[in-house]
Amino acid sequence: MPAKIEYKKCIGCGRCYDLCPLDVFAWDEEKDIPVVAYEYECWHCGICWMECPKRAIDITYPASFW
Amino acid sequence: MALEKIADRIVETDVLVVGGGIAGCPAAAKAAEHGLKVTLAEKAKTDRSGSAAEGIDHYGGAFPRGMTPKEWQGYIDSFSPGFAYGAAPWADPTRFYRQYANGMWAVEELEKLGVTMRWTDGERRPCDCHHEGPFLRVHWQNVKPEMAAGVRKRGVNVLERTMVVDLLTNNGVVTGATAIDTRTGEFIVIKSKAVVIATAACSRVINPETPLPWKYKFNYHWCPSSVSGDGWAMAYRAGAELSSMEQAERGGRFRDDKVMSFGNHGNEGIPAKRLTWDGEETIGRPGFRSRRFAEIQRQGRDEPRYISLEHLPDDYQKRVEVAFVDERLVSFKIAEDRGFNPRTHWYETMDNRVNQLHVEPGIYLDADFMSSLPGLYAVGDCMAGNHDVANAAASGFLVGDSIHEFVNKASEPVIDEARVESLKQISLAPLGVKDGTEPMELESAVRYICDRYVGVARAEGRLREGLRRLGSLKREFLPQLVAKNPHYLMRALEVRNVMDIAELHIQACLERKETRMAHTRLDYPEADPSLDDMLLFQRLENGKSVIEFRKRAPMALPDDHKEER
Repeated sequence: MPAKIEYKKCIGCGRCYDLCPLDVFAWDEEKDIPVVAYEYECWHCGICWMECPKRAIDITYPASFW
Repeated sequence: MALEKIADRIVETDVLVVGGGIAGCPAAAKAAEHGLKVTLAEKAKTDRSGSAAEGIDHYGGAFPRGMTPKEWQGYIDSFSPGFAYGAAPWADPTRFYRQYANGMWAVEELEKLGVTMRWTDGERRPCDCHHEGPFLRVHWQNVKPEMAAGVRKRGVNVLERTMVVDLLTNNGVVTGATAIDTRTGEFIVIKSKAVVIATAACSRVINPETPLPWKYKFNYHWCPSSVSGDGWAMAYRAGAELSSMEQAERGGRFRDDKVMSFGNHGNEGIPAKRLTWDGEETIGRPGFRSRRFAEIQRQGRDEPRYISLEHLPDDYQKRVEVAFVDERLVSFKIAEDRGFNPRTHWYETMDNRVNQLHVEPGIYLDADFMSSLPGLYAVGDCMAGNHDVANAAASGFLVGDSIHEFVNKASEPVIDEARVESLKQISLAPLGVKDGTEPMELESAVRYICDRYVGVARAEGRLREGLRRLGSLKREFLPQLVAKNPHYLMRALEVRNVMDIAELHIQACLERKETRMAHTRLDYPEADPSLDDMLLFQRLENGKSVIEFRKRAPMALPDDHKEER
């Protein structure tokens, strides 16, 4: 699985949405939170994971990379 | 129709830089320093984009300052004897020497831009690399945020999430570009007196590891957003010349990528062992020995290779870990999740598969980094004959430092509105398609054609069949490309570029009827002496593709020349 947001920890700062080089995130305007919108395009670079101020994003390798 | 009615937004600038990476940021910052109005269009977000998005642990190609062309050639021979990997035969030698000779000048310029080049003790740390010659080890996890801040500070107008689609020309001179905002879908026209392409090379014509027919098909080592061949394709479509498109790099298909990053041990100068799967040691970096691998592929022995650090003492292991922090922090997390211990586990690569079009192929440039299209410059990985960080930074700074000479003489750009209108219709077409083909499906089909019919060991019949299939795929499915929103429009436009590059690649493979460097023909297993020093050029002329061999330019500088910067 690519990036996964733990919404309990997410403060909606938008860094993941702002920085993802593959534009994997979209912004849910209603709830004012990021959503993983294009997960199959995830590069697994970990930028969202390392830049998230609350470590609210986890990232793991999918089966197809084994 | 008036331009204001066609475009959602019009941007006017002196210089447009396409791509905000290790070459684009220096080019933009330096040009702005000379008082020019500079616009930088970045497909992602400059703070974390491009090949250096996650950071880099090395500044490769840091040759000593003030070396002469003769000394430079000596250096290249010393780490790549008789082969000159990425060296002069594939580029204008004068330009090639200039980018190497200014690598250390670029270090000082980077420091002025706010990029950290020194270690905590205040020193720069030179390091000897096994495959790239002299370089500096750098703590560059944050090189991109630092560069992006530097560029903004110098007053560059940065357009984030903006994909440049096509270049605009008038009377054979570049006058700007069309672009889309990948978040809002706005169609943007950028009027510019000069354009600097600073995109990457192209991997996406080739499958990554693992090419399963399912999802997550962006498993490349380098940033997949950067390596879609945008810069090459837009330059070609506008009439600029590309060269050496038959050459392809091997050895970079890493199955265990981000578990143990490939570069880290090599870039730390650590003697890792390269093994076959029964533990037999192989020597050197076999990916570059084209003929041997063509033979392996012909025999169907497409075997993985392994990199092992298990024989090394603890202090080496610590150094590798520091390099992980600098380049790919996520490696620690993924290794831990997978139960992969870099100290004892071997790291798997598929060395004998084509990995990307890189190093030799690219936009052909003269000694001043200008392409065959006046006003169009290129810097960094999209140049023919480039592969490392110092070349990228140096080329960027060099162009940024001199482009005012061209801009100040250039006339006001005149935009052909009818042309813009037709480009707009082509670019936005996927938004209007219903029940069409999704970009990733079409892109996977292109990659599979390149895998099946081109590969490492090439031959006439297979290449012709590949070209035929690619042609019919393009005719039938390109008009059916569907984009549900602006994000997918970006992917759809990338596929168009990927298709153009794949076509140029196969045509070039067919044209070079000999075996030379990274191009192996099973039906022409020897080098043809009449093609020594002959580069293969491709360009679009009056809507027709032209392909021809021409002798590369000679070295214009005397043996004892010294760069003054």
